Amino acid sequence: MRRTLTRTSAALTISTLACFLPIQPASAQTYIIGSTGFPSTIRVAIRQNNIFGEPDPRGPIIYVSNVNFDQYCRDVLPNEWYPTWPLASLEAGAIAVKMFGWYHHLHPVTVGGFTFDVDNTVNFQLYRAQSDQDQTNQAYQNTRNLAYVMPDKVIFELNYRAGYENNPNWQYRNAQKMSQWGSQYWAALGRTPLQILEFYYVNRMLVTIPGIGKG
Amino acid sequence: MIMNYFPVRKFKILLVSSLCVTSLLTSTSGLLVQGALAAETKPIVTPPKQGEQSTIPPSGYVPVLPSTDYGQLRVKVLDGRTLKPLPDAEIVVLETEKRYRTDKFGLTPWIKAPVLRSTRFRFLVNELHGQLTLISYKNGYRDSIHMGVRMNEGSPTKTTIWQYKIDPTVDTRVEPVLYQVPYHRLWLIKLADRFRRPSQLGEGYEHP
Repeated sequence: MRRTLTRTSAALTISTLACFLPIQPASAQTYIIGSTGFPSTIRVAIRQNNIFGEPDPRGPIIYVSNVNFDQYCRDVLPNEWYPTWPLASLEAGAIAVKMFGWYHHLHPVTVGGFTFDVDNTVNFQLYRAQSDQDQTNQAYQNTRNLAYVMPDKVIFELNYRAGYENNPNWQYRNAQKMSQWGSQYWAALGRTPLQILEFYYVNRMLVTIPGIGKG
Repeated sequence: MIMNYFPVRKFKILLVSSLCVTSLLTSTSGLLVQGALAAETKPIVTPPKQGEQSTIPPSGYVPVLPSTDYGQLRVKVLDGRTLKPLPDAEIVVLETEKRYRTDKFGLTPWIKAPVLRSTRFRFLVNELHGQLTLISYKNGYRDSIHMGVRMNEGSPTKTTIWQYKIDPTVDTRVEPVLYQVPYHRLWLIKLADRFRRPSQLGEGYEHP
């Protein structure tokens, strides 16, 4: 009787825990620039809006949209970076947005029966269809053929956070995440996109993506 | 304008002119109304020179534009269901009362549009952008109201308006569609941080 109870409670615990694990990564495989093709599309999960009409990061997924990868990056950048910032900041941002999207394209997840690469909220990157702007499009175009990868050319997730204004945001460098306000700070001081990336992501390198033009 | 009407009086009588109330009401809209009080007699309008087009809109109302700063705006109008461009839709920029038409690609020409910043947050956090309101009209489609279009001085802005075709068999109650462009997330983060007490962690200060 006691053994049955123990087994039942163990089974219940496991099943309960399983319910709280929403994301099941498909694989932990690594992908290398050159042997991995540039994505043509990306699967974007569209989440239900909250009552104010904004996509809710904890809302249920309504459907998954197949979006052109270049267009996805162009429609993310002005929502993540501020379009009036200096071009160097936008170019660093364009590389980060692209590498983040590319990494997740290679590591899709399944939630609630939907398999997708990213969603349209800050769970991944804020995506709004048809929101691209000329300045951010220019930054994306200038850097489309560039990738920022590990020294062994492995594609990794370039993560970033807002950070604080008028500040280099050193704490983000220590965490290997780019600060968006920090990128603006350095760009205003005349740093190049590569210098900005090198400041936040230590021991990485900028490479040209084979067979990919500037767009 | 507060007027003192009686030079010899037992009680001080103050009269608030209706024009003053009007300007106060205007200011509650959240837009900077610098010069609204001064404009109570008549709006300051520079008469157009010979050969120039008049700047006075057909309604006769000359909006008081608080800023001389402008950006460029281009509007794209799409069919909300087919996502195809809608030609010949008419866009009205409410703040200037000017009208523009879309071409066969659903695009207006580049519009010189004012950058109007909200006074509500002006002294709290330096707001990153101004806002405009647009309405798009096209026969056979629901009117579409587009609020909070982000404008920056000297910068181009593109925005997209979706209009929805009226189906008489289904749409028994036809009303305008509203889309409110959200504030940029970087600005919202800044705004929340500006008033956070050290004890109010909420999600916590942003840690990398």
